[in-house]
Amino acid sequence: MTFDMPSYNLKDNELIRSLQNDTVAKRKAEEQLFSQYSYFIKEGMNKYSIPEEDAFDAYSDTILQAIDNIIKGIFESRSSIKTYLYKIFSNKCVDLIRKKTTNKSSIHQTADITEMLFMIADPAKTVVQQLMDLSDAAVLKSKLMELGENCKQLLGMFADGYTDKEIATTMEYKSPDVVKTSRLRCLDKLRQLYKS
Amino acid sequence: MENLDYIDEYFKGEISGEKKQQFEKRIMEDASFADEVAFYISANGVIKNQAVLEKKQRFKELYQQQQKVIPLHKEPVKMVWRYMAAASVVAAVMIMYLFLNRDINPRELADSYIQKNWQTIGVKMATKQDSLQSAIEIYNDAKFKEALEKFEMILKNNPGSQKATEYAGITSLQLSNYAKALQYFSILAADTSYSNPGKFYKAITLLRRNDTGDLTAAKILLQQVIDQDLEKKDEAAKWMKKLD
Repeated sequence: MTFDMPSYNLKDNELIRSLQNDTVAKRKAEEQLFSQYSYFIKEGMNKYSIPEEDAFDAYSDTILQAIDNIIKGIFESRSSIKTYLYKIFSNKCVDLIRKKTTNKSSIHQTADITEMLFMIADPAKTVVQQLMDLSDAAVLKSKLMELGENCKQLLGMFADGYTDKEIATTMEYKSPDVVKTSRLRCLDKLRQLYKS
Repeated sequence: MENLDYIDEYFKGEISGEKKQQFEKRIMEDASFADEVAFYISANGVIKNQAVLEKKQRFKELYQQQQKVIPLHKEPVKMVWRYMAAASVVAAVMIMYLFLNRDINPRELADSYIQKNWQTIGVKMATKQDSLQSAIEIYNDAKFKEALEKFEMILKNNPGSQKATEYAGITSLQLSNYAKALQYFSILAADTSYSNPGKFYKAITLLRRNDTGDLTAAKILLQQVIDQDLEKKDEAAKWMKKLD
């Protein structure tokens, strides 16, 4: 059985490498990926007869999902990034029309929470789940806003998938250990604010 | 702080085995610790959500900047000479289109069809959740390898399923596994119980592969589609003109 790999251009390679490895260039690569195919928004508006705002939402979610998949290595380069993005985008537009996606911005949050919860074995998982049901996301969010910019950036980068080592490089900390200590201090501070 | 460090290590996958079990046991026995674990997960979720919102805001600003350079809705052109200039451009594009179509690359023709028709499949007929529908949804998420496994699983249980055969062929083609795609489309084409696009899809696969002799074989298949009045006959006729 033959299995030919389709060729994809060098820009795809560069983008993938920047998103996966080069932490300094990651943000730039995200923006480049967004800008490169933003004409999908107009195509989505025409093809699916949806307003620009909806097409933009579908496209932004597409880019965020693609970035996640590229970083996690789920995207296997069997097609070009363009084809891959267009497939996800079309699907999201269809979902939008079917009104299955009602709160798109919470998709990532739900996925992350589920991922972490599933790391815990039952019955401990159930205990944690019940406690989480009691937590107030709105209050937690407002307390997060009370933290200093440095803390917010540290926690934000970690939640976004950066390792302590990568954060140390990007934010010019002395070592990953210093990042970890600072990050956990910020988290502790957030907890104290939340509990108060 | 000490507990947060411990919890952080757990979720980063830095502890395993017996220590992992001890962690979970402590959740069951120590309410305050369980509360910290729940907080850690909830906080990460909220922080991640905030990071996503900020990223989307950044994208929005980028998009707005792009629109300033290339507005989505351009101002209507009022002057006649501008209409004439536009008409000239359209005419030039049409001439170029006709000219280029004479020497169209077979692979581009196949790619264009795949791009236009197989980005997603079966999206409009999703009324019932079954194994075929679930495999289609995986395909529509561009997880072709996984989708092919699902279609093949369906075929294992129901070898006569025309739709599963067709979709297994399309998915194999998306994976550039031409031998497998040809195999599935041949099975489809051999089923003469009702008209199906098997032969036309075989032609697409050959044009996409574009090896020595593939173009000739594809043309023979397209001619058969026309002569035997098979599904996709009109499309086949158009392609024959383009490929001549």
